[in-house]
Amino acid sequence: MSNHAPAIKPADDPAFTLPATLSALSIPLCAGGLLALVGGWALGSFGVDVQFGMSAYLTAFIYCLTIALGAMFFVLIQHISRAGWSIVVRRVAELMMVMVVPMAVLFLPIVVTLWTGEGTIYKWDDPGYAEHHHIPAEVWANKTIYLESKFFAARAVIYFAIWIALAVYFFRGSVTQDETGEKKITERMQKWSAPALIILALSMSFAMFDWVMTLAPMWFSTMFGVYMFSGGILAAHCAVAAGTYLLQKNGAMRDEVTVEHYHDLGKYIFGFVFFWIYIGFSQYLLIWYGNIPEETIWYWHRQLGVWGALSLVLVFLHWILPFIGTMSRHVRRQPTLMFGWSVYILILHFIDVYWCVMPEVYEGSGGTLAAVGGGIGIVASILCAVGMAALMIGLILRIAGQTRVAASRDPRFGESLAFENI
Amino acid sequence: MSDDKNEKKVHGIVAEYTSVDTLLDACRRVRDAGYTKTDAYTPFAVHGIDKALGIKPTVLPWIVLGGGLAGLATALAMQIWMNGINYPYIISGKPYISLPAFMPVAFELTVLFASFGAFFGMWALNGLPRFSNPIFTDPRFDRVTDDRFFLYIDAKDKSFNQAGAEKLLRDTETEYINTVVDDDTSTVIPKFLITTLITVIALSFIPLLVVARMRVTTSSQPRFHIFPDMDFSPARDAQQTTSLFADNRAMRPDVPGTVARGELEEDLDYLTGIDMESLTRLDADRAKQLVRTYAQAENGEPENSDATPKTDAPAEEKSVMDTTPWLKNNPVEITKDVVLKGQEQFNIYCATCHGRDGRGNGLVNQRAQQIMASSWIPPSSMHQESLYAEQYPDGKLFNTISNGIRKMPGYAGQIKSKDRWSIVAYVRALQQSQNASLDDVPKDQQAELKAKKADVEKALAEQAEAERKKEEERAAKAAEKE
Repeated sequence: MSNHAPAIKPADDPAFTLPATLSALSIPLCAGGLLALVGGWALGSFGVDVQFGMSAYLTAFIYCLTIALGAMFFVLIQHISRAGWSIVVRRVAELMMVMVVPMAVLFLPIVVTLWTGEGTIYKWDDPGYAEHHHIPAEVWANKTIYLESKFFAARAVIYFAIWIALAVYFFRGSVTQDETGEKKITERMQKWSAPALIILALSMSFAMFDWVMTLAPMWFSTMFGVYMFSGGILAAHCAVAAGTYLLQKNGAMRDEVTVEHYHDLGKYIFGFVFFWIYIGFSQYLLIWYGNIPEETIWYWHRQLGVWGALSLVLVFLHWILPFIGTMSRHVRRQPTLMFGWSVYILILHFIDVYWCVMPEVYEGSGGTLAAVGGGIGIVASILCAVGMAALMIGLILRIAGQTRVAASRDPRFGESLAFENI
Repeated sequence: MSDDKNEKKVHGIVAEYTSVDTLLDACRRVRDAGYTKTDAYTPFAVHGIDKALGIKPTVLPWIVLGGGLAGLATALAMQIWMNGINYPYIISGKPYISLPAFMPVAFELTVLFASFGAFFGMWALNGLPRFSNPIFTDPRFDRVTDDRFFLYIDAKDKSFNQAGAEKLLRDTETEYINTVVDDDTSTVIPKFLITTLITVIALSFIPLLVVARMRVTTSSQPRFHIFPDMDFSPARDAQQTTSLFADNRAMRPDVPGTVARGELEEDLDYLTGIDMESLTRLDADRAKQLVRTYAQAENGEPENSDATPKTDAPAEEKSVMDTTPWLKNNPVEITKDVVLKGQEQFNIYCATCHGRDGRGNGLVNQRAQQIMASSWIPPSSMHQESLYAEQYPDGKLFNTISNGIRKMPGYAGQIKSKDRWSIVAYVRALQQSQNASLDDVPKDQQAELKAKKADVEKALAEQAEAERKKEEERAAKAAEKE
């Protein structure tokens, strides 16, 4: 409805620029984040052992990457569906999406450890693995065609090339439009969003196979990429809601983002909470019913001790609690409550990634306290994730300081401002 | 325009608008004037109309939630009842009540019932289905499906008065206000509709009639199969042949080098009932042969040759049976469960010939006597001294069950060795029961037995008394006649 659309703000309007209070946070966040990240990694590597430190690093990396890729999905979905409602919050997602560029640099330690063989977490790189695990030579020979360190690195280059190209293209288009207001840019981005989505879905799925699933070299699940996507897109919606809320509270946006936008983000969060368990349970059900040892072992590791407890935490706190919590329209129409739920789910998403990655460090450890690296290991894991997240937020603020925080000259900006749910 | 319709019942007032904005504005005014029984009609969904009309939030979400919970409860209760209680059936080796397996159905029914809640709840809240509405009488109302917006104030509203409502609407940006009156068209249902309805109902009975007729008649035609692969399962039954394997057997022998679950026996003594150490000393060749036989069986070949070497002369056989150092004692620890298991197995496999009491007069024997089968050798009674433990050791009895004797076939293929030992234990108990005194029974059960005995004696006495009386009466009658 454009029945009472407010006037579109001119290009030189001071609105949607990052206030100085937030810009000033950029460098401290980057520096502190980097320090915490390195500290967490060092604590894990030298306090527990080298594999543990790298695993904690990988957990943090996958955590941030899934959110960045989730944000990219969000942006592409808005384009392909020609969504009007989301224009005021789309820039927040766009800012998160370009984080795949620094993420490419942060991937280097993982590939370097694999190449040097010092403390790599990918056990398929160990020549003695097959013999030690009684894997038939024929099977292992087929596995190692794909699981080979040079091919692994080459694939990583392809994934990041795709993501960086997509992020830069869609971010630059949107930012250019801030200056020119050209309608053509929107049309062009709409056109490319369809192939982009296909490529992104495939590359993300394969990246998750490569980087997370092969931590258990003999285990496989064709749904695994979708599972990681489901957590990522949920967390991305939460990050958009939380980020928008914080920007609004700090004066970068005013009343442009209304209850209606939080309501819509809340609907997506509610839906994706269920989508996450839907995919997670589907994967579990197939493996549980098939009852083939080479498949069940992954879940078996996650049913013992600490991992068993975390599995229950995921079911009850990552699904049931937020599912009930965000079910009501009244909750979704309270920006403060949606902010709270978003932060909550972002924390649970970390536990989800942690639960995927960490049990493979000491496989068959039975989930004792030693398997999580003891108290030092827990601190190191959290420090890595908090550090990397802070680094990302710092970088986002840095870029946001040079552009606007909303795509204010998008042709559908007015529609977004006037958006109503009921 | 409204004058000539005044005699008819007035339902309300309708006003027409040309845009969403004018409609919303009018809605707000009507709402602010205190009207609650109002409605807006638009060609498409208009955001903000609820607020403009002052419509309270709907209770529909609660109906949907209730529907969803009802669906969840129904699905779980249904599956737990069906698969866990009413017809317990193991599927894929999972427990009867296996929550993960129930989840897909639970999910689907939750969604289904929630959707029903949303769909039928919406109908109920909107008073649907409704085939006619007085507003349809308005000559311009049809354009609501195209490009016009209508606002309606119901006459049943508490604050409704025609003049006031009309004045209120006239102040809004409208060019058309009309009073909605009763529909004066005929209420008679058109004949063609009734005819169609009756025809459809009549036709719908045809399939039922066909089914009913098919159920009471026979046919020489084979039934047709909707799902042939379900009616003729490619899965083989036991003892059937298949072209899938070189030996054409559908039942597969154990893979060489593997042991089936529960078949991991400790030693040859257990499998043969023979004290192998003594046998080695007495007859080394036979011991070697036995070891070879069982080693082969373990390698996947069925156990063909008997543990007892076959000999032609019965006299010699007897001597071999007698010289064999049979195990004197049952290697299985005798517990109540073992004996009960033995009883169960005995009643399944042995009782058809030997009888449940072990006296050798089972149903097969009775039938054989009846038809005077010439080659029939009556099964032995368990209750003869030559079969008691002193003369016929446990190991020998086990061997007889495993490999058979005379006409009796070996049961090693059907009964697991552990269960064969249980049968041995039960046969001993059975033998004991025939020569037992009350003192052999545990003290706490003696009273029960005594009571039972008393009951039986009493019943027998009564029966005898009744017989005697009858006899006397008959005798008396006969005497009278004479």
